[in-house]
Amino acid sequence: MSQSTSDSGIDVASFVEEFNLARIGQYVLVILFIGFFLAPLETGIMTALKTNEAVARTIPLAPPTGEGFTWGNLQFALEQLSGAFFNSLFMAIPATIGSVLFGSMAAYGLTMVRWRGQMLFLILFLIGIFLPYQAVLVPLARFWNNIFPLASMLAPTFETLPVVQDFHSNLVPLMITHIAYGIPICTILFRSYYQSLPSSLVEAAKIDGASISKIYRRIVLPISKPMFGVVFIYQFTQIYNEFLFAFTLITGSDTPEAVVTLILPAVGASTSGIDFGIRMSAAFLAAIPTLIIYVAFAEQFAKGLRTGGG
Amino acid sequence: MDTHETAEATTTPTEEVDWETKLRYFLNSDFVRSSPFWGIPFLIMGAAVYGGMGFNVAISLTDARGLTPPDYSLGNLDLEMYTQVLGSNAFLQATQNNLVLLVTFTTVCLVLGLFLAVLIDQGIRYDDKVQTIYLLPMSLSFVVTAQMWLWMFNNNNGLLNIIVTAFGFEPVNWIGDPSIALGSIIFALIWQFSGYTMVVYLAGLRSLPDDQFEAARVDGASTVKTYLRIIIPQLKESSVSAAVVLMVFALKAFTFLYALTGRYRPPNGTDILATLMVREAFKFGKWAYAATIATYLMVLALGVIAPYLYYQYRQGSL
Amino acid sequence: MTMGEIVIENLTKEFGETTAVDDLSLDIADSEFLVLVGPSGCGKSTTLRCLAGLETPTAGDIYIAGDHMNYRVPQNRDIAMVFQDYALYPHMTVRANMRFGLEEEEGYTKAEREARVEEIAETLGISELLDRKPDELSGGQQQRVALGRAIVRDPEVFLMDEPLSNLDAKLRAEMRTELQQLQHRFDVTTVYVTHNQTEAMTMSDRVAVMDDGHLQQVGPPLELYHAPENRFVAGFIGEPMMNFVEGRNEGGRFVGTYVEYPFDATIRDAVDGADDVVLGVRPEDIAVSTADGVDESDLGAHEFLMHVSVIEPHGDQNVLHLNHPDDTAEDDLLHALTGGTDIFEQGSEVVVTIDPSHVHVFDGESGDALHNRRIGPEAEVTNV
Repeated sequence: MSQSTSDSGIDVASFVEEFNLARIGQYVLVILFIGFFLAPLETGIMTALKTNEAVARTIPLAPPTGEGFTWGNLQFALEQLSGAFFNSLFMAIPATIGSVLFGSMAAYGLTMVRWRGQMLFLILFLIGIFLPYQAVLVPLARFWNNIFPLASMLAPTFETLPVVQDFHSNLVPLMITHIAYGIPICTILFRSYYQSLPSSLVEAAKIDGASISKIYRRIVLPISKPMFGVVFIYQFTQIYNEFLFAFTLITGSDTPEAVVTLILPAVGASTSGIDFGIRMSAAFLAAIPTLIIYVAFAEQFAKGLRTGGG
Repeated sequence: MDTHETAEATTTPTEEVDWETKLRYFLNSDFVRSSPFWGIPFLIMGAAVYGGMGFNVAISLTDARGLTPPDYSLGNLDLEMYTQVLGSNAFLQATQNNLVLLVTFTTVCLVLGLFLAVLIDQGIRYDDKVQTIYLLPMSLSFVVTAQMWLWMFNNNNGLLNIIVTAFGFEPVNWIGDPSIALGSIIFALIWQFSGYTMVVYLAGLRSLPDDQFEAARVDGASTVKTYLRIIIPQLKESSVSAAVVLMVFALKAFTFLYALTGRYRPPNGTDILATLMVREAFKFGKWAYAATIATYLMVLALGVIAPYLYYQYRQGSL
Repeated sequence: MTMGEIVIENLTKEFGETTAVDDLSLDIADSEFLVLVGPSGCGKSTTLRCLAGLETPTAGDIYIAGDHMNYRVPQNRDIAMVFQDYALYPHMTVRANMRFGLEEEEGYTKAEREARVEEIAETLGISELLDRKPDELSGGQQQRVALGRAIVRDPEVFLMDEPLSNLDAKLRAEMRTELQQLQHRFDVTTVYVTHNQTEAMTMSDRVAVMDDGHLQQVGPPLELYHAPENRFVAGFIGEPMMNFVEGRNEGGRFVGTYVEYPFDATIRDAVDGADDVVLGVRPEDIAVSTADGVDESDLGAHEFLMHVSVIEPHGDQNVLHLNHPDDTAEDDLLHALTGGTDIFEQGSEVVVTIDPSHVHVFDGESGDALHNRRIGPEAEVTNV
């Protein structure tokens, strides 16, 4: 619904007048809001690069100068977080792949293949998106700690594996939890895509003699490549950024298996208060993976957000 | 595939179809053949979501706390926790804060998001870049943004107080003062979420046909009038879905509040149901009590979602 | 040997409250080209989809080549289908699209499949497109690939769901001829669904007209044109459509609001007993001549003075919209077709002649044909 600007410029006088009044106002607003959205990020990054003295002396928006500049905060924060980065990625990547695959399968079964009563199942999936996770936290903790202590069951196996340590097994319950609770949103994202595909594609394949699983493998999967991009980006961001499940299932921010989001609220804190240079460095470092993804795939991220909701 | 043929050929036209044929047809039907595809994810999700919800309600009926495991024997199950929770001041205070957060946060996000969407839709140059910047906070973890706002809110060196003092006012204790802490936090959450509402509204705006705007222009309507009378009423769908997402978020918001302090207790005057629930469970080990708060929370969330889903179902847009 | 005989017995398909197909029975002979035609929502596509196995009938039976089909999934029915939107797999080359269905058929080696695809591509003139993707093809080319994908599997039956409706008019006319030639060549039973009555008339061996879930009439195209069984078929087949004038049968005379028309003996017998009747006459059967110097008293019993309200020139012919001089209603009473060189003035008076051998008479209540026009000097196509 954007108004085209192609008609401007024909009548120079009115163009200039319009430009002066409305246009300038619009651009001023746009720039003000850019400032509004970027200021907290900008102050954060600037603070990360300042010495403690410069943090106290200069205004937060100003870049560090001369002696006030330091890499020290970032270095320190990186040391604090490096293990957590591995943990986060080790947990988030398989969890993303799992929930995306299951979501695509469920959406296929609920959208492209028609059968009676599928609306009921769809609604059950939809409710799963909106569920406040608080409603399952106590059961989750009981399940993974008391009823099915998968982490301690896996620990001996993990010890023998290369790359990972025994404590990494604590991330497996978190991974599975993310897969399970990620399925509804991934299903709905894929469903919105599959609904836009013509039903005749599946029908043609059926008449061509393909089975339901062959149709999925040979027709639906290849066609939904772009949507896999969208859902993967969206879901990875969600899981990497998530805090509550990690907080519930991993014992503490000082444990070796803690993920990035779990450690961050504790970095740079001491009895004398918070070292904001270090804290901002850690926050910036923690945000880097999602920032990279966001900058590279902003359109896909926005699409995922639009269809799936916050 | 064609091994079925011989058996089926024996069915003569006038005869009743035998049950084996019907069974084989049923086993070949889309419902059965597609069941692994939706069934397996459904079982995993169902166990986690609905199993978890049921488990939670079961725990809320016991008196479980501390290290004693919940006792599910019938004599032990009662609604005692529900009356206890309802009678507690902390719960009532948290509910009140939660409702303030829900209403203010949702309203301002919707209005600001709509304003930004209309602004960007005016044929601004580099509109996609601007949109990317506005949406940027949404790609960050609440843990990250909470740290940045903690710094923004800082008493001595925070940007907000530097601005406030530059105008000659006294520095404000943004998150220390119980009377404004909730407002500060709502402000930060609006900062994070208004990009999302903007994206939803922008998609709605761009799905409207161009000629409506042109027709209104030909009719001599001013831009403001066109938006108020013609365009915005058509964005009802976008408003409803964005509002549902925002309200549900307001109910379950926990991370931002926790990450501001790194402690179970959020800043003064900002305790909401989600933070209260987590604190009761994981700090004090009052499992049954916390499960009860969670159940109330779940009911509130369902109160928002159920009408929405029903509305969508009636519209045929599910 | 192909035995593509199709028998549909009492087929009913309901979607919830609505009945899409109601008690339809139809036999289609081996290698026949049958066109299912009707307005949108008449149930023709649903019937086709039941044949394909994409819908399960609510009641009734379907047999293909003598085998009961109701409980068979599409892949076991030995059919191929061409869809309105072609439904080509967008991520596959034309070759892979055509090969896809063959992969599930037994008795082909890999090389034989390739050879079969190339052979059919050759026949359809799409050999040079084999390694392209569907989005690199024009509409007409995609249409050919969709046909090729159906033909390659050598099915007993072709099912076609409005396959030409996405093409522009010129291409559609070309493909019409080509489809017919292909059907003759492969000699496969074809059920073709369309709402376009030109396609129905020109391509088919027989046409089945459907309306509101009911089968109205089945027969060769000319039989439907000249001997429609009811008012719906008469109105649906033919363009511009047949004129209908509603009125009463009063002692062997048709009495309408503005016109009276005496029936001749044959018609009088046929309409005996009916009160409300509808007179039907095709636009090309209305003779129009100028009314200059003609007085009302000079007119014969089957001649009327009328007023030309609108003229639609088509070049080869003209469509005249005719009103009775006393008629003040907006609607035209009759449409007449005149030769391209017979020019009349808009607003002029004309003499309209309707020969009794050209009229159809329908029952005013049931819409059933009471009498159909005579063809040839003596011959009369009576309705069954």
